Amino acid sequence: MNEFWQQVVTGLATGSVYGLLALAIVLIYRSTSVINFAQGEMAMFTTFVAWSVLQRGEYWVMFPLVLLMAAAFGAFIERVVIRPVEGAPVLNIIIVTLGMFAILNNVATWRWGGIPKGFPAPPEVHVMGIKFMGEGALDIGPTVVSYHDLTILAFAVGIMIALYVFFQYTPLGLAMRATAQNPIASRLMGIRVGRMLTVGWALSALVGAVAGLLIAPLILLQPPMMMGVLLYAFAAAVLGGLDSPVGAVVGGLIIGITENLVGTYTPKEWLGPDMKLTVTLMIIVVVLLIRPTGLFGRRTLRRV
Amino acid sequence: MLKVRDLVAAYGPIVALHGVSLEVPEGSIVAVLGANGAGKSTTLRAVSGLLRPKSGSIEFDGQRIDHLSAEQIVSLGMSHIPEGRQLFSELTVLENLKLGAYSRFAQADGGGHPVGREHLPPLSRLRHYLFQAATSGIRDLARTIREYRQRRQDFESALRGVFDYFPILAERRGQIAGTLSGGEQQMLAIGRGLMARPRLLLLDEPSMGLAPIVTREIFEIIETINRTQGVTILLVEQNANLALDIAHYGYVLETGRITLADSSENLRKSEAVQRSYLGQ
Repeated sequence: MNEFWQQVVTGLATGSVYGLLALAIVLIYRSTSVINFAQGEMAMFTTFVAWSVLQRGEYWVMFPLVLLMAAAFGAFIERVVIRPVEGAPVLNIIIVTLGMFAILNNVATWRWGGIPKGFPAPPEVHVMGIKFMGEGALDIGPTVVSYHDLTILAFAVGIMIALYVFFQYTPLGLAMRATAQNPIASRLMGIRVGRMLTVGWALSALVGAVAGLLIAPLILLQPPMMMGVLLYAFAAAVLGGLDSPVGAVVGGLIIGITENLVGTYTPKEWLGPDMKLTVTLMIIVVVLLIRPTGLFGRRTLRRV
Repeated sequence: MLKVRDLVAAYGPIVALHGVSLEVPEGSIVAVLGANGAGKSTTLRAVSGLLRPKSGSIEFDGQRIDHLSAEQIVSLGMSHIPEGRQLFSELTVLENLKLGAYSRFAQADGGGHPVGREHLPPLSRLRHYLFQAATSGIRDLARTIREYRQRRQDFESALRGVFDYFPILAERRGQIAGTLSGGEQQMLAIGRGLMARPRLLLLDEPSMGLAPIVTREIFEIIETINRTQGVTILLVEQNANLALDIAHYGYVLETGRITLADSSENLRKSEAVQRSYLGQ
């Protein structure tokens, strides 16, 4: 039983990284109907930048700095790369994001090299004598959880709460939701739609950057590091419903846990660890056959 | 209040308006009648800035607005309630109304337009911008605190006004807009437009898809809004009978051209209007 809980908790941790990246994808998809294939590479790129900053500075100085840079980077990409193809057929925009995927990957390889690098987990922080984050593991009854897994969970939950509050309770968040639903009516309300899209890309890049910083200690820093994660994140987003932020997170958690359980509990000759990606994707196919909008995707209610 | 002269507008190569001229005097209700595809909605879209005109001029309060964007025009005091209502159907009634007031908040936030400093020499201009950037956080905070209560009151009183006209919206403020009945949705669309406290209201087919009794109720409220608040109204409507009931003045639009312009009483008597639009 302990083994089971162990796998569930580890699955929750990696699952919340998938959830974060899926959230980044959903944030953009909701407002522009564009699937950003470069989402993972943007996160990889900012993680490399973070690595460079870490050569000279403290982790907790680097962290907010890199998040700011990521947001600026996201806004820049929207303005310079995406804005010119706005209004073009969706396929064109998707190809642009695929192009960014290749460019970011190549630039990272050229600048930082292809050899995997270690990336540190967030270091220890003590608040009122209690240790948060850092090395080691914590014994919580039936199982043992590594501090880094707990850190990932805490960050994921924190970001989700912050985003929820932002979208639900601030005027800017409300304007962004309005823009995602009906850009023309939004313009008639006086909302600058273009500015909302820029903010959306910035937010999305920021969330993706956190995912990159948290997953890098587990999988080593290298240019193709986000490919697998991106695949799981897409799966999570589709499973949860591409227009639902909550769905993205829940989808990520489900996939994280399934991945771990399938890897541990199915016999090697039959499925085993090598087949965990396949099994995860099979589950998604089945879900989509039964419920094409995903678990939380909304079938829009409209009366005309 | 609104003067449109020789307005030409097109969707790509298809010209929808061939030189439309019309005038809306302050405090009046003006109706634009016409069949489907005559260019009624296009006229409103061009006036509110959703569609950039090819040529011609649009003046609002003596100011040319044909080069402005829709986002800018709404903050000048003009609300466009578009065809098919265009509600935010997945948001609640209250959220829709909040968005209606967005242009007023954005203005108070200083989200409008940067003040021109073009007359300053380049170095002073740079210094000016640096100073602005460095102190904007503090200034914004001070201004936010100062203006917060005022904006709050402003919003509350606009909301009370809307709820007075449409009590049903107060009852349903937490409901998702898409689940309202057609009449309630039209009421919400008008209420959302009023939240911007406009002086000119552009109304596109408020009767569309509604039962006659609901339509009559809505037209009564439109007339009340005009009479008690002095809001000027430009109304586009296929139902000529209803429109001429409340309008002071009317235009008839046919395939992108104004063919008739007269007071409502005279239009009612006109043979052409009776034949084509009143079904007599």
